[in-house]
Amino acid sequence: MSGAGGRGPLLALAGLPGMGPARLGALLARWPAAEAWEFVRGGDLPGDAGVSDHLVASWRAAAAAVDVEALVAAHRAAGIEVVAATDDAFPAPLRDDPEPPAVLFVRGRLDALTARRVAVVGTRRCTWSGRLVARDLGRDLAAAGVCVLSGLALGIDGEAHQGALDGHGGPVGVVGTGLDVVYPRRHAALWERVASAGALVSEYPLGTTPERWRFPARNRLLAALAEAVVVVESGSRGGSMHTVDAALERDRPVLAVPGPVRSAASAGTNGLLAAGCPPCRDAADVLVALGLTTPHPSSSPDAGDGAAAPAPAGAEDALVLDALGWEPATLDELAERLGVPLGPLAVRLTRLAGGGWLVQRAGWWERAR
Amino acid sequence: MLATIPSATLLGAEGRPVTVEVHHANGMPGFTVVGLPDAACREARDRVKAAMQTCSLPWPTRKITVNLAPSAVRKSGAGLDLAIAVGVLVAGQELLPDVVAGMAFLGELGLDGSVRRVPGVVPLVAAMALGPVTTVVVPAGCGPEARLVAPGEVREVGDLKTLAAALRGEEPWPDPSPDPPAEPPGGGRDLAEVRGQAVARLALEVAAAGGHHLLLAGPPGAGKTLLAQCVPGLLPDLDDRDALEATCVHSAAGMPLPRGGLIRRPPYRAPHQFASGVSLLGGSAHLRPGEASLAHGGVLFLDELGEFPVHVLDALRQPLEEGRIRVARARAVVEFPARFLLVAAMNPCPCGRAARPGACTCTDAERHRYAKRLSGPLLDRIDLRVDVPRPDVEHLLAGPPGESSAAVAARVASARGAARRRRVRCNAELPASSLDDVAPIRGAAALLFEDALRAGSLSARGLHRSRRVARTLADLREPDAPVTEEDICLALQLRAEPDLLRTAA
Repeated sequence: MSGAGGRGPLLALAGLPGMGPARLGALLARWPAAEAWEFVRGGDLPGDAGVSDHLVASWRAAAAAVDVEALVAAHRAAGIEVVAATDDAFPAPLRDDPEPPAVLFVRGRLDALTARRVAVVGTRRCTWSGRLVARDLGRDLAAAGVCVLSGLALGIDGEAHQGALDGHGGPVGVVGTGLDVVYPRRHAALWERVASAGALVSEYPLGTTPERWRFPARNRLLAALAEAVVVVESGSRGGSMHTVDAALERDRPVLAVPGPVRSAASAGTNGLLAAGCPPCRDAADVLVALGLTTPHPSSSPDAGDGAAAPAPAGAEDALVLDALGWEPATLDELAERLGVPLGPLAVRLTRLAGGGWLVQRAGWWERAR
Repeated sequence: MLATIPSATLLGAEGRPVTVEVHHANGMPGFTVVGLPDAACREARDRVKAAMQTCSLPWPTRKITVNLAPSAVRKSGAGLDLAIAVGVLVAGQELLPDVVAGMAFLGELGLDGSVRRVPGVVPLVAAMALGPVTTVVVPAGCGPEARLVAPGEVREVGDLKTLAAALRGEEPWPDPSPDPPAEPPGGGRDLAEVRGQAVARLALEVAAAGGHHLLLAGPPGAGKTLLAQCVPGLLPDLDDRDALEATCVHSAAGMPLPRGGLIRRPPYRAPHQFASGVSLLGGSAHLRPGEASLAHGGVLFLDELGEFPVHVLDALRQPLEEGRIRVARARAVVEFPARFLLVAAMNPCPCGRAARPGACTCTDAERHRYAKRLSGPLLDRIDLRVDVPRPDVEHLLAGPPGESSAAVAARVASARGAARRRRVRCNAELPASSLDDVAPIRGAAALLFEDALRAGSLSARGLHRSRRVARTLADLREPDAPVTEEDICLALQLRAEPDLLRTAA
């Protein structure tokens, strides 16, 4: 089995309905890919393979429609590298993984993964300040030569990738669909930029559509590829927490960005901190966790150090920022906290927004810096 | 022998004069109605005959032809029954033509001879008044409405027998019915009931003063419906023309009219989100006015805006633009007045929990579908959009009551006065060309708009809308006061964003 031509059966197997890394791994542990593919096509998979009759039937039906040669040709045409677990190019961190992928599909530079790697993950339902933190982390880590991994999802993931691109890094997007199925669609442009600056990695062949069950598997691959995981914002449950669990199983350090205690978007990260995770205040904290730098008093964030904290020009505007704090608030709430009529308050808010201090989204004001 | 009796028929919310001609001829006894009657109108034949016989009025054994002129206009409903009956009596020489000269008749007949009320008395009587009519006879109880528009005297009759006796001079005309008892004060609520919600209160005031359409976005239980119900109480009384138009629409829809007949207070209509297009915009076989027309001069409240069918919302664009609804059917095209203040409410997302950033549990696809339901063109016509957060518990229990509707309505009235001096009904109608004169922007304020335009958060259309809103805000402070930076900042705050939901993701 050599060359892409020999990859045909492996490609075909990975694209079957309901085929996840565990099933594929189990099949390939018993038979070579070509033999397993013949069993599947004939619908006569031995009963002790641990595959239900129902699934055997659906695989058989799906396999009948697969043209293996065309599949291989399509991957070659799309410039997608197919890396089997037995190949030399297979990423080193996955070799001794408890649930290694049997095959990886890669677009872009696979050698982006030879750098130091940090996953920056978080919820799609994030706050504005969470977005800004993710972007800053992505940028600063990339600038420090670290490969930023994330899931290309909306919210924190996308911001981390965006930041890494801003920092001229080679980010790696780990996705749960075929590399031609952009999900979410809104990130089509970002998806392309990540592929050209770094790499996109998937366990699934072209044409695989997003399905709910594939995302936890994607999250475990993300955790397995990373040396450390940073959670920027997360609810107490959700995809980011899956990534955290997968990282902890693999003894990868997990860092959490502290958030306001009343913010739903920080419930998960604050929970991690309470459980003993080291906090991540900025990229320096991550670099320390990777052993790239040592903690240095002067390199710690200057927040909390009143003299160094930047402040807007007017005293009135500073009062507004104080009243807002780091949690989103409505115009109503601000007017009441400050005891200022709506008109003058609107003037101050507009001025602060113009200066980049505040952002407004759907009626909520949030502090941006 | 021939008789000619004036009456009217209803087309949409307008009356059309109809002349009922009755001819008695020798020949085979029979009774025919011609002149484009609809089914209910054609059945007048049987009702009139039965009613006259029950009232012991002679039924001529001759060939009777009734023509409803002009024959090109479709006649609908049973309102012509009374005119036909009188025509039969006159043509049969039971009544002298002189006694009905200058009289018009309106009413449906029961088989027992009773005269029943019909919808649309106000527009029907107004149509009769176009001819040489000095006395209008209407069903008992319809007097107050009829007197609003009648050219001369209004007589009310309860049954055919009384009418015949009165016309013959054997009995006096029945007494006019007294005004209906005063209705309990409508569903309008007072702003004093709203605690907290300073921004939403301001938005209501601006909407009422400037005629700016308003969208309230907030989680369930935030008080959006209560806020919307406060709006009619802030609006000034309808002027004569609007009042008459509104009354005609309500009358044509068969809705009860207030004491005195004329609708002076702005109506409030809140159709359900499952309302059909026809019920909202008018139409159906009978060309009945819809909710949007019933809200003419008042407030149309659409709760759960995102749940309304897309085509219904799109169809609202015509009335929002022109203040009228044209309903075209194969047989007729009718126009209904429909100039209303649109107050819409919606949840920020399907789960309604996007109360705070990060709290919503909707998937992106759900959110996207929800956002797509609100067409851009509709949102484009909504000048004001505010987020209504759920009120604080402390506010609900211990907060001071807000300013009352009466106090706000006084400011609204003076702001509307300023708009009238600019020759528009309200600032929302200000033409873009006049904005530089009436709402000039100077100094720091101009920079604000420039920044917003450059940042892409404001479109050219949005700029004009914000300037109109700023004009209203300044007028509310003091009529004709110059527009300040504060007004513009607030106007930008109260602005409807077309990418309403995308920004919440």
